[in-house]
Amino acid sequence: MFKSIAWAVAAAVALAVPFVFPGAEYLREVLFLIFLYGAMATGWNILGGFTGQVSFGHAAFLGIGAYTTTILTDAGWSVWATLPVAGTLAAIFSLLIGPPAFRLRGPYFAIATIGIGEATRLIALNWSSLTGGASGLTLTGVASPLAQYYAALVLCAGAVAIASWIKRSRFGYALAAVRADPDAAETLGVNTTVAKTQALFISAFVLGSAGSVYAMHNLFISPDSTFGFSTSISFVIMPIIGGIGTIAGPLLGAAIFTGLREQLEANPLLAQYNLDLLVFGVLLCAIVLFEPQGLLGMFDRLTAFVRRSVATARRPKIAGRDGN
Amino acid sequence: MATEAILSGRGLTKRFGGLVAVRDVDLDVSKGEIFGLIGPNGAGKSTLFRLIAGIMRPSAGVVTFGGTVISGRRTNAVCRLGVVATHQIVRPFRNLSVLDNVMVGAFFGRRPRPAQERARAFGLESLEVCGLADRAQSAARTLNLAGQKRLEIARALATEPQVLLLDEVLAGLNPTETDRTLELVRTINGRGVTIVIVEHNLRAIRGVCSRLAVLDEGRKIAEGSPDEALRDPKVVEAYLGPGHA
Repeated sequence: MFKSIAWAVAAAVALAVPFVFPGAEYLREVLFLIFLYGAMATGWNILGGFTGQVSFGHAAFLGIGAYTTTILTDAGWSVWATLPVAGTLAAIFSLLIGPPAFRLRGPYFAIATIGIGEATRLIALNWSSLTGGASGLTLTGVASPLAQYYAALVLCAGAVAIASWIKRSRFGYALAAVRADPDAAETLGVNTTVAKTQALFISAFVLGSAGSVYAMHNLFISPDSTFGFSTSISFVIMPIIGGIGTIAGPLLGAAIFTGLREQLEANPLLAQYNLDLLVFGVLLCAIVLFEPQGLLGMFDRLTAFVRRSVATARRPKIAGRDGN
Repeated sequence: MATEAILSGRGLTKRFGGLVAVRDVDLDVSKGEIFGLIGPNGAGKSTLFRLIAGIMRPSAGVVTFGGTVISGRRTNAVCRLGVVATHQIVRPFRNLSVLDNVMVGAFFGRRPRPAQERARAFGLESLEVCGLADRAQSAARTLNLAGQKRLEIARALATEPQVLLLDEVLAGLNPTETDRTLELVRTINGRGVTIVIVEHNLRAIRGVCSRLAVLDEGRKIAEGSPDEALRDPKVVEAYLGPGHA
């Protein structure tokens, strides 16, 4: 109950911000980025968090979405009409790579996804007639910043709605079982290959759609900016910071990631040597070592600790126990 | 035995490189019985079990269930047909609740697949049968070994199996827990489920099985009622060495 109210309030605030503060362009920009990256992190989390299949190649889907929108707009499509096509093409591509990649498990699957991400980047780099190669492509159609803001918001809300539906559904049980123990899941009737492929399909659709909005925002895309390995890494970092496998975790992670990156990039010394990556690397190590459940896990531990302390303080003291 | 065979193996063989773990075994399990599979260490019991459960593919031979060939199919398909196995080393979904563990079986093992409320009801029912109803909301990792073994059985039962395959469910249990588990096996059998049980504990299995097959070095060396099979000179020799028969 409390949670649904919190979600409703957050959505209402997000809808109202551009009207309440029409002049605050920076605020709108930051919120836009949080929603966009929140959608990406939530999409990644459906496969990486719910299903336990950690992918280091999700930039492939973002890139396919971004290039689809740019190329189709150039061919005369309206920018908005390209958005569902971008998501769909990314999802279809996932059907090609999912079944072979899912024959591998754990770290081997993760390594294979690195290969997939790099392969798509190289294809984008060398298929110059379609992608413009290393010099990239410029989006010709323009969506207003306000329209972009709402597109990112709807995308993010949609991704969260899908994720929370999955969590409560029968499908979610299959994913949780695959994450916990794929062999045991299989003996209980779960077709683990199908479950993983479906999770990847949904995940890829969200990333492809996000890629479309990314292209609308950046206007210029290149193989390195969309298909790059560091893009894939950012999808892994965000859910882990916030709390992997949860609903709110990837959003929280996206907010921290976006905010921190804005600060780091504004610092000329750090930006010059790409030291922002070092900061995220250290943060990632610290979280994996000390709080694998991310900030949400830390928050849960803190509330549990406070509750315990309050309960202990209220309990009447038993004679003799506090002696010596 | 006049009743029809529900689960049969013909010429089952499994090779691991040069090692033949199971060699040309024929097997017929009748509908409604409790069938025991025993043998000394390394006899190939667990391998044969995995062949029957569809977890491993036989190198040669076929397994049929009610006339349908099930060997070579995916494990999940075998489960959905009605043959489900428990794991010798317990494999609970550790971070899910006990009820959620069982609901996975109810959701995916049954045909047709039930909706959430029905799956929950099926899950609670099998927890009730296995004596875990009071732990339904606990995380599976908080159960002790006996509890986790019962959870393995409860999860399998929630798939509504016609044949339940139990792999050393008694290993590591104390005498009280052993008796409770054997009682549970009888209860489940009383509900019309055919049971195949692999076991080390001869005394326990003797009391519960209607028939036994004895394996040694991958071959079936005896089959029959527990008393017959265990008195067979070849079986005594396999367990105690030559000269004791």
